[in-house]
Amino acid sequence: MDSIISMVLIFIGAALINNFVLHYFVGICPFFGVSRKVDMAFGMGCAVTFVISIASTLSWILTYFFLRPEAAFINNVFHALGGPADIMIDLSVLSYIAYIFVIASSVQFVEMYVKKFFPALHQSFGIFLPLITTNCAILFACLEIMKNLQNPEKLWGFHEALALALGGGIGFTIAIVIMGGLREELELCEVPKALKGPGIALIVAGILAMAFMGFTGVDRGVADAISMIRN
Amino acid sequence: MESILGTILFAAGILFVLAIIMALILGWANIAFHVETDPKVDALNEALPGANCGGCGYVGCNEYAVAVAEGKAELTLCGPGGASCVQEIAGIMGQEVKETWPFKAVVHCAAKRDQRLKQQPYEGEKTCAAANLVPGVQGCTYGCLGYGDCFNVCDYGAIDMVEGLAIINPEKCTGCKACVSACPRGIITMVPFKTTEVMVVACSNKDKGPLVKDVCSIGCIGCSACAKPSDGLLTMVDNIPVMDYDKFGKDSDLSKSIEKCPRESLVYIGEPEKKEELKGAPERIEADFETTIDKTDWWG
Repeated sequence: MDSIISMVLIFIGAALINNFVLHYFVGICPFFGVSRKVDMAFGMGCAVTFVISIASTLSWILTYFFLRPEAAFINNVFHALGGPADIMIDLSVLSYIAYIFVIASSVQFVEMYVKKFFPALHQSFGIFLPLITTNCAILFACLEIMKNLQNPEKLWGFHEALALALGGGIGFTIAIVIMGGLREELELCEVPKALKGPGIALIVAGILAMAFMGFTGVDRGVADAISMIRN
Repeated sequence: MESILGTILFAAGILFVLAIIMALILGWANIAFHVETDPKVDALNEALPGANCGGCGYVGCNEYAVAVAEGKAELTLCGPGGASCVQEIAGIMGQEVKETWPFKAVVHCAAKRDQRLKQQPYEGEKTCAAANLVPGVQGCTYGCLGYGDCFNVCDYGAIDMVEGLAIINPEKCTGCKACVSACPRGIITMVPFKTTEVMVVACSNKDKGPLVKDVCSIGCIGCSACAKPSDGLLTMVDNIPVMDYDKFGKDSDLSKSIEKCPRESLVYIGEPEKKEELKGAPERIEADFETTIDKTDWWG
């Protein structure tokens, strides 16, 4: 039951309270680049959610078994290969390069898969799918998972990593779709010439981020509600 | 010391193994998920200008390339590419094409603001689409309104608003037809530029003479004086002369028609051509990549 609470809290935290885009300001480039129309924004959001889930899954596996300090599996391998028994190996230095690696190859794989089996979807994604490779929101999710696998006393389970990935992806989708709707309306507004395009988009994003600050504390309420139901 | 070296080697080994696993997965996927693409489509994509203007009626250059490769589309639809692009496409498809000309937009109205009479003060939204809904915003219900809808929609900077009249610069026009659909009065049409200079009937008013004189100081009064000496090039339809561009060419002599015209309805558009340049295909129009390809302001 505790794991369900933590999953729900991590999910809500990633989706609303600490929204990747509007709280941490990661993944800003697709947030502005592809938010011209709502349907394009939604497509991008879905693609990011998809890739973020795959990349987080792989990076959790990598981190849990190989890259975290005092990982039992990799130390056993190390000692079995003749490493000194008194040395505990810590490969967390490799985490960045390994995550970039995993993200890039999973995006490639997903693109090939979609191209083969969903040609229509591939056509509508167009350039966005390869662009996700450089989307820092995905690397951010991986690093967040790594951060929570550092302390051997309190390790994140796979379900928690998945909750973070799904929450982050859905939070990104929410943010970019709202932004797409706002920018569609902005097309009809008379914007001062100096602020046209990027300027007004950044201002709107800032106001949107402030609005999302209103979610602060929602997690506390949700946790209370769940524990009330339990009792 | 040895243990440090061992650790480094171990880390490198882990990375190496990871790389090999990923490479194997991607290599397998590349074969398993291989999609056959027509090599013609790739070659056509190379030949097309890549401006994605949509002038051909397809969403982008790639879609047009696919349609051409499948034989569903004409070879000659690409305006920005010009004649040399059509030749290249024909070469790839193994077909012969007849001589083609770039189609460019022209405005069938020559009346500047002061020449359009009976204008009423208009305080509404400053677009032609809105002004066109207001009856009596200006006397002529056919002519240019001058609020620049075509100017705003042109990505190539080919349209200038001069004294309330849209004037298209054929040298900059790529034939994307954006202005044709933007004009609420439909006075912009596409005309084949067989030479760099083309004669255009610069009036769209279909009313009879006296009515036209009331609303415009230069508009066509439908006297049909130009039609007779034009050797069949100009025919009167609905009180205005219509140019037959299939017959119109570099040898057409319309000086008599211009002389006879009591108004200023026949104008030449474009640069007068030099005699030496008459031979050969028209020049290729290069798409302006800075302004056309990527309408998104920035990618990450």
